[in-house]
Amino acid sequence: MTDTQWETYEVFHQSKKGDPHMYVGSLHAPDPEMALQMARDQFARRLKCVSLWVVRTKDITATDYQNDDFFAQTTDKSYRDPKAFDAPTKELSHE
Amino acid sequence: MSDLPAGLPREQLLRYILALADDELMLGHRNSEWTGHSPILEEDIAFSNIAQDELGHSLVWYTLYEQLTGKSPDSMAFERGWQDFSCCRFVTYPRGDFAYTVVRQYLFDEAEYVRLSSFGRSSFPAFKDIAGKLLREEAYHLMHLKGLVTRLGDATDESHRRMQAALDAAFPQSLGIFEKLEGEDALMAAGVFPGNEVSQREWLQRVVPVLASASLKPPVNTQNGTSSINCTPDLGGRQGKHTEHLNHLVDDLQLVYRIAPGAKW
Repeated sequence: MTDTQWETYEVFHQSKKGDPHMYVGSLHAPDPEMALQMARDQFARRLKCVSLWVVRTKDITATDYQNDDFFAQTTDKSYRDPKAFDAPTKELSHE
Repeated sequence: MSDLPAGLPREQLLRYILALADDELMLGHRNSEWTGHSPILEEDIAFSNIAQDELGHSLVWYTLYEQLTGKSPDSMAFERGWQDFSCCRFVTYPRGDFAYTVVRQYLFDEAEYVRLSSFGRSSFPAFKDIAGKLLREEAYHLMHLKGLVTRLGDATDESHRRMQAALDAAFPQSLGIFEKLEGEDALMAAGVFPGNEVSQREWLQRVVPVLASASLKPPVNTQNGTSSINCTPDLGGRQGKHTEHLNHLVDDLQLVYRIAPGAKW
């Protein structure tokens, strides 16, 4: 059976200039330009938004859940944790 | 109730405001019929958003009417008979297939863009204020609809066939947007707006190249860069001469209100 669906895009939303773009979800669209328009209606109608990013899902290079060696922590690394001081909670800003 | 600036012809202006409001109300209602039925989920949401925007625009015009007459938007939308509305026929026709809906919305949005832009130079301050507000939403509608028209116009054989058939039906109807209003000359003389003839010319200059870029042919002759219309416009709506389609639409639109007129929610 032919797949009649458009490609999927992942959507990132920024609520204030300088804040990080946050991942909000995915959608179908025929091309990046329309993906931005669809993203506007689906993710920016009620939330305050100053910028959107869309990325073709297939353009994302991702790790494999099966390959858990990738993240394995087999020895005690607690000395690396920032326990002795308060870590900054605010995300680092970038424009 | 507020007074009009001196020199503006009251009756003609009220008639024009109602025509603007009625266009938006009926088109918004027709568009809302796609909610839950659009071909693609994402477009369903986008199109429902546009439908709500058009209803919101009708409220802006009905509210201006209320400020001048004391008649509420609800009474204008829900208590008038179908032959009392002065929308163009174009916005009253059934939604058709999605191609017809897209072509209709595109042609209407270009017309709305042209007329709102002309209100920026209006002698009536309320028109200037409203134009400033609504134009920003219209700019997005246009971007979205232009996107759909240019993509669907020549995407596949079927999409081209459907879009061309939709344009053949919609184009003569769309000219009804520019049907001359009774008393229009007085509004033009008072500097309220430049008149429908001027707006239609400006609209034609905008839509012809966009349609051509989508391989769509409107019934228009173009010579030396100037386009002229080569079909019979579907007029009558501005004089309340509607088709049965508006009768059915208004039945649907007013159904709940008529169960308990004046009920407070």
